[in-house]
Amino acid sequence: MPTAIGPQELAQLGSLELRARVIVEGAFAGMHHNLHAGTSIEFTEHKEYAPGDEIRRIDWKAVGRVDRYYVKRFEDETEMRTYLAVDSSGSMGYAGRGVSKLTYAGYLAGALAYLLGRQGDPAGLLLFDEETRQYLPPSTRGGQIREIFRLLDQAAPVGRTDPARALGHLGEVVERRGLVIVFSDLLDAETGEAGDTALGPLADRLRQLATRGHDVVVFHLLDAHEVELPFDDLTYFEAVEPGDTRTLLAQGADLREAFRRESAAFRERWRQACLESRIEYRFVRTDEAPAEVLRSFISARRRPGRR
Amino acid sequence: MNFLAPALLLGLVAAALPWLVHLIGKRRAVPVRFAAMQLLLRSEKRVSARRRLREILLLLARTAIAASLPLVFARPFTERATDFPAVSLEAQSAVVVLDDSASLRRGGTMLFATAKDKALALVRQFPSDSDVAIVLASQGSNPPVAELDPERSRVLQALENVRGSARPADFTAALRRAALILTGSPRDKRRIFVITDLQAAGWEGGTGLPEQKPPEVVVVDVAGETPWENRAVVDVRAEPAPEAGPTGLAVTAELADFSLRGTTGLGVALKIDGNVVSKGFVDLPAGGRTRKRFLHTLPAGSGSAHDVEVEIDADSFALDDRRMTHLELARALRALIINGDARTVRTEDEAFFIETALKAGDAGAALTTVLPDDVAVEGLPAYTAVFLLNVPHPSAPLAAALIRFVQSGGGMFVSVGNKVETAVWNERLGAVLPQPLGLARTASALPGQHAGETLDDRPAERLAPIDRRHPLLANFAAEGEGLASTRFFKYMLLEPVADTVERQVVLRYESGSPALVERTVGKGRTLLLSTTVDREWTDLPIRPGFLPLMQEIGRRLVGASDADATTALLVGQPRELTISPDDRRLEVTKPDGSVWVAKQDRGGASRSVTFTDTDEPGIYRVRAAGPDGALTARPSDAFVVNLDIRESNPARLAADRRPDHVPITTAGAKPPKRRVELWHTLAGVLIAFVLFESILTLRWRRTVLAEQR
Repeated sequence: MPTAIGPQELAQLGSLELRARVIVEGAFAGMHHNLHAGTSIEFTEHKEYAPGDEIRRIDWKAVGRVDRYYVKRFEDETEMRTYLAVDSSGSMGYAGRGVSKLTYAGYLAGALAYLLGRQGDPAGLLLFDEETRQYLPPSTRGGQIREIFRLLDQAAPVGRTDPARALGHLGEVVERRGLVIVFSDLLDAETGEAGDTALGPLADRLRQLATRGHDVVVFHLLDAHEVELPFDDLTYFEAVEPGDTRTLLAQGADLREAFRRESAAFRERWRQACLESRIEYRFVRTDEAPAEVLRSFISARRRPGRR
Repeated sequence: MNFLAPALLLGLVAAALPWLVHLIGKRRAVPVRFAAMQLLLRSEKRVSARRRLREILLLLARTAIAASLPLVFARPFTERATDFPAVSLEAQSAVVVLDDSASLRRGGTMLFATAKDKALALVRQFPSDSDVAIVLASQGSNPPVAELDPERSRVLQALENVRGSARPADFTAALRRAALILTGSPRDKRRIFVITDLQAAGWEGGTGLPEQKPPEVVVVDVAGETPWENRAVVDVRAEPAPEAGPTGLAVTAELADFSLRGTTGLGVALKIDGNVVSKGFVDLPAGGRTRKRFLHTLPAGSGSAHDVEVEIDADSFALDDRRMTHLELARALRALIINGDARTVRTEDEAFFIETALKAGDAGAALTTVLPDDVAVEGLPAYTAVFLLNVPHPSAPLAAALIRFVQSGGGMFVSVGNKVETAVWNERLGAVLPQPLGLARTASALPGQHAGETLDDRPAERLAPIDRRHPLLANFAAEGEGLASTRFFKYMLLEPVADTVERQVVLRYESGSPALVERTVGKGRTLLLSTTVDREWTDLPIRPGFLPLMQEIGRRLVGASDADATTALLVGQPRELTISPDDRRLEVTKPDGSVWVAKQDRGGASRSVTFTDTDEPGIYRVRAAGPDGALTARPSDAFVVNLDIRESNPARLAADRRPDHVPITTAGAKPPKRRVELWHTLAGVLIAFVLFESILTLRWRRTVLAEQR
């Protein structure tokens, strides 16, 4: 298998479309790559009838048994919609020595959009920071994928992070069961101080999406610096997001060990939270080859026994 | 605090350097826009307390280092009032005479510790360009620093090693030595500093200073004017007490009081071989003395050599609260009888009478009879007593050997007769004879001889009434039964000599001439009978008193005579010990348990060795290793060492006999001040800070490296 192209090499390529194709080609040479599992139209659950529901879906047998109106709900395999939710807050613009997290998220989201487009699956895009910046509903229409590429290309890390709000919005607009893939660094999504942290409203939103039957995947993107803290000298750290005045003067080497532990605990908290909410959690360092990340993701989804 | 080089204090601005470096370092920090600030701040919170503490400590340590350097170079000092006279602050050649005599060991060793501390302080405060020597005041001690030494640390070290002794003080010798040391100094200022309790003992011989240009003497009194009271055992004598049985002994202790009020009910205990066997109480008049006599019978089979100790109730000066002696009750009689007038008819032979008498008294006695020419001189130490019976003229080697024999503890009995050549005797054995021999005196016709065919029945000379106070005669009846009727037809007059305590006339003739004279010589004893021990000059051998008299003489000669003279020494006195040819090694165990060893030369003859390490009062035990290497005790060679009683007297040295003419302090005057340099201490602090900083930095770096791995 040829070595996958790294993020910095990808950056040399002309357009996001090309990069996406290169990533997909590199990841799936000779491999079937349907993102959605399932075979046919399947009954999933009953729902109490409410005005507006289709009369033809009322389950009359159920009415006969319990004397109440219920409508049948089905899973439509061919209409599985994918929502690519990309965090474009200021923190996503941080680039240690390679590409920024936002750029990297673009690579992954673009590649997935390209893959879905090739399969004829509807794909949509949600760009958010503290609020929803762009929303492109899933569609199979021509030009949808290109539009996604364009939006991703134009995305800039400017706002403050508040993914909970944006994902709340997503929960409102998504009607049918779909695949929600979130790309975020999840930074500043936690509340509380060291030793007493809580994951905050973002985790609640993700859990709600999963509870509603959405297949939720979280790509937790972190720069290598945010894992290792490789600074040795006296360093003046400043926050990147607008309006954030937090600073710290410290000898990087002094903090490194504590930072590593803190970063690992941070990732573990999110992994555990996702596991509990039946959300697929994937930690990705932005110095990894996107094609490898994609291959690993698709392979895992095709494995029997996964939800 | 003052400074010798205050200008160098400008360097204190260097103390700001670490702070400047810190601030500049902050400014030079690399700015980084970082996304994971929340994680970073949490990490910082975890380590900040430790990190800040370390940073502050490092900063303080570096500031202290930067500040200490100019402080050290500015040579700070302070001034303190001193107990010593101002002259001690001058650059000079000084000899410190430290009193380490026994009296400073009162109250434990506290007073000596005070004296030593004073000496150390004095040496430390001499200006650095002074040179100093140290002399000890105890008798016979070696000076710790015998020459003027400019190296202060050496002097202080030598002084630190000085321990209080039990010897008496001898300031005459000490000051003479100190003055001699100072004669080598080219300086004008030469002084002797005497640190003492100013006890009068030790100054009997004067100051010992030269009359021409004597060095200045400064006396530092460590005891003060407050008198101390003392009670002491000043003498102990032990001797056999036949009246208390064969193992009886009498111990007489002389006790002294050195106070203004006397002592009543002072407890006195007698210890034999370490066990208290008798106790009593005495009253002591103020400044007076009294005797306490103990009579004690030792259990049968308890041996012949015993340690005798008399102890009184403790006071502040413990060294003289006990006194010891060593007593050998009766050694086995191993007698060499030198028969100077051997006869074939036993009843005419002097040796026959002596052998018979001694054997009758002690069946275990080993008697060897030889002619004068057959005496093996080198074999004498194997005997405990030698009997010389009518020996004409002892050869020079025999005479010399006999003198050594007696001096080292042997007993010698001499009886005279027709053969004796008095001139030779007096010349060769005058050193041990109780009295020089004179002319023979005939009291009447000799028994059995006829003068003009007529038996001369004139009454012969008899003995004067005996004095039973002498141990030899203690067992005789008051009238001298068995001796009183003895007739002496001829006897030898003895040359008159001055009375001495070593010589004692035991028996006299009616004419007043000495019949039996005793003399203590060295550790031994000599008895001289001025007539014969056969019937030639007297009928003593056939009188009932002859047997007990000769047996007592035998016991007296081998009984180690006067215990004090033979085995009791004063602290510092040497002890002569004999190594026989059979000895491979001789060991002396000191009171503190340490052992002194003397080895015999290969194939060596009998020789004497001198043991000089008698520094502590107590019992010194002797053991010898034979050819098989096994060590056996020699109780008869054991000896005790007692304190010199001069040290017991607390009398202070009279003011007019003091050697100093410089008052120590002047009442009301401002006390002199000495300069105490502080830069040494500061340098030590500086080094401590440097070490602290290095360790802190090293630990920090190690932590960082470990984290990076």
